[in-house]
Amino acid sequence: MLELRLVQGSLLKKVLEAIRELVTDANFDCSATGFSLQAMDSSHVALVALLLRSEGFEHYRCDRNLSMGMNLNNVSKMLRCAGNDDIITVKADDGSDTVTFMFESPNQDKIADFEMKLMDIDSEHLGIPDAEYQAIVRMPSSEFARICKDLSSIGDTVIISVTKEGVKFSTAGDIGTANIVCRQNKTVDKPEEATIIEMQEPVSLTFALRYLNSFTKATPLSETVAISLSSDLPVVVEYKIAEMGYIRFYLAPKIEEEDDMKP
Amino acid sequence: MAADGALEIFPQIQALVLDKLQVVSYKWLSRNFSVSSNYAKRLLQEFAVKHCNELEVLYTLSGWLKSEPQTYCVKLASTYKLEEVKQVFKDNCSVQVYSVQACIPSDLAVIWNAEFVQAEELFNQPLTEGNCLRDNRQVTFTLFYLAENILFLTLFCGVSNLFVQRIVDGKHVGAAAPWPMNGKGVAIESKGISTVKGQPIQHPQQGSGAKNGLQSSIAVSSDNSEKVALDAASKVTKPPLIKESVSGGNTGKNKGQNVKSSSGTTSSLASLWGNASAKSKPAAPAAETAIDTSIAAATAEAQICSHEALDAANSEDEDHHNNHKRERNIVSGRKRRVFLDFSDDDDEEENVTSLSSPDVFKGKHAAQSLPKTEILLDRSKPSTAEPKGDRLSDGLDSTKGKNSSLPSDADERSASITMGGISLKKKTNSYNQGDTDKNNKEVATTSTSPKRRKVLKTRIDDRGREVTEVIWEGETADSNMPEKNISVNDAANRPPAANKVQAAGIAASTNPGKGGNKKPGKGGLKDAKQGNILSFFKRV
Repeated sequence: MLELRLVQGSLLKKVLEAIRELVTDANFDCSATGFSLQAMDSSHVALVALLLRSEGFEHYRCDRNLSMGMNLNNVSKMLRCAGNDDIITVKADDGSDTVTFMFESPNQDKIADFEMKLMDIDSEHLGIPDAEYQAIVRMPSSEFARICKDLSSIGDTVIISVTKEGVKFSTAGDIGTANIVCRQNKTVDKPEEATIIEMQEPVSLTFALRYLNSFTKATPLSETVAISLSSDLPVVVEYKIAEMGYIRFYLAPKIEEEDDMKP
Repeated sequence: MAADGALEIFPQIQALVLDKLQVVSYKWLSRNFSVSSNYAKRLLQEFAVKHCNELEVLYTLSGWLKSEPQTYCVKLASTYKLEEVKQVFKDNCSVQVYSVQACIPSDLAVIWNAEFVQAEELFNQPLTEGNCLRDNRQVTFTLFYLAENILFLTLFCGVSNLFVQRIVDGKHVGAAAPWPMNGKGVAIESKGISTVKGQPIQHPQQGSGAKNGLQSSIAVSSDNSEKVALDAASKVTKPPLIKESVSGGNTGKNKGQNVKSSSGTTSSLASLWGNASAKSKPAAPAAETAIDTSIAAATAEAQICSHEALDAANSEDEDHHNNHKRERNIVSGRKRRVFLDFSDDDDEEENVTSLSSPDVFKGKHAAQSLPKTEILLDRSKPSTAEPKGDRLSDGLDSTKGKNSSLPSDADERSASITMGGISLKKKTNSYNQGDTDKNNKEVATTSTSPKRRKVLKTRIDDRGREVTEVIWEGETADSNMPEKNISVNDAANRPPAANKVQAAGIAASTNPGKGGNKKPGKGGLKDAKQGNILSFFKRV
């Protein structure tokens, strides 16, 4: 028996919008600790990890661990029927091949439930080791989204270089090149507007903008984004979900050939 | 003592700081809750320790400065700068929490906003109503607060002038008065002095200098720091543009250091070079009168000065202007020598002076080389950050000037010099006579040199370093084909010859070329280059 009640139903909608472009089918894993998802994109270049801790739900009941395979587009279709202020309840019985989404309007005068068929998905769960990253950049998520969007109109890849002074996003394409430098900035009116760079050593990596642009679909979930970079690890783009958990995107870097690096 | 009060106050502070994003300073706290300021500071300290992860803390540091003469100073510092600011103080200084806030505001006036509003409210209360600001006992506190405010402004340059005036004009100027006045160290003291608006400043030298303007002071003293001090002093006479006066002092100081260091370079290079440089060595850092410049003109490197020297002799009014030019020329003289040095090192068959044949600057060649050179020169004028690359570029300029000044092609000379961005129309004979052996050599070689020219190219390489290359260009300069790469100059060190050749090839195809190279690779090998997430994370 599984029953989760989320007062802030719009949050679930945003989560689905954030990942459905990257992943089409995925298993939602429910355990006593929370509601999680881990999935790779079809080309095995990017990985998304979602965690919604049980404490974040108004009501959370999960008798035993449950893995529910869903087509994310279908889930999204269902959730789009929920109002932004609706309370969403997810229910599933053990052994059942369906999941029920229940939407309650804030004043309780409308209750809708949608039952969706589950799918069997062979998913390979990856172990993600905890790693110390050479550089962590925290910046406003909207800023990051804007940069990725702008750069993708110039080129296909972005070189993210972090130094003490700031983080540089640069790209090159047929029409020209573009560089965007964001300086460390702690003096702001609101903490979430700050750009903070924690750096052990300078790092520079190349990524496909297409994926980064997919990641930025999670921008509505959080005002800030943390980008963790290490030269021999996938970049982690993390959006914190207020008081509930996080959504993390991992993206394998493009392998730079030595010839390209040296002039 | 703190226990019971803190229990009530802490949640309120928390709500203000973390939810309403208000800056809570000890002043605000002490007025709002009618507690003593010391107690308020202690409360904030306690609060800051409890919530150190969620908020930013501003500290006040007060103590005697290390500077001479001793000055008692109160400064504000954020957590990040705390240690740095501590260094300014002698021995031990007191460190107390000034305010807590969710983040360091970009507009620093915000720090005082809350308490200013509060003070205004308190003053606007009906006269019959007693409040902490009317209470005699605490007025003295207020005075002290405002005095402190003024001090803090010196630290935070970002505060708007409006705000400064508001505080200073308010009524408590007197509170800030007891500053130790310094006779000569204006550059240092200018901070403190400028905060006290309109405070007269007496300086034995600069008192007159400020009135007479820059020129006279420069004429009197060759020391750059004095000019700096003068800058600061002259600004002090204006309304309290604290920011400007402080930063003016700083930049001026830097400038002084730059000039000093550059002259240091000159002397060390001079030891490598013969008599010409030996003469130039005293000339370079020397004062700026006509006599000095004429000496300089006698040397190879300061030839460009000569024109200005004439001007200087004619009118003292131009001294200021001249002084600026001179500084540049010192630099350029030095640069040229560096450049020649490169030529010697790297050029096997051509000799030192082959850089510019008389032909080079005729007609279109000169015209073609013009834009690039000018750009380089422009950049080198404020040259501080990347002296080496610029040095080269200036070297080319001055070399051009020198070569063109050869008697054989007097016409081209003036043309090329103006094009190089240096307004040198006249030439003094002293140069040619003073430097005869070198010039003779040059004449001999330049006459034989082919119709090629060296072109200086500066570009930023992939690693962000500035690379300056001297490249041979043939008659068809437009093709941009580098025949030979004379020198590659990195900020770090000069790479060996093999690299130069490689770099020369790259010089032809810089950024756009690189983009072009990358593009097909991206299109064709995209998937090959894209890493796989499975190579990083193992399946469970």
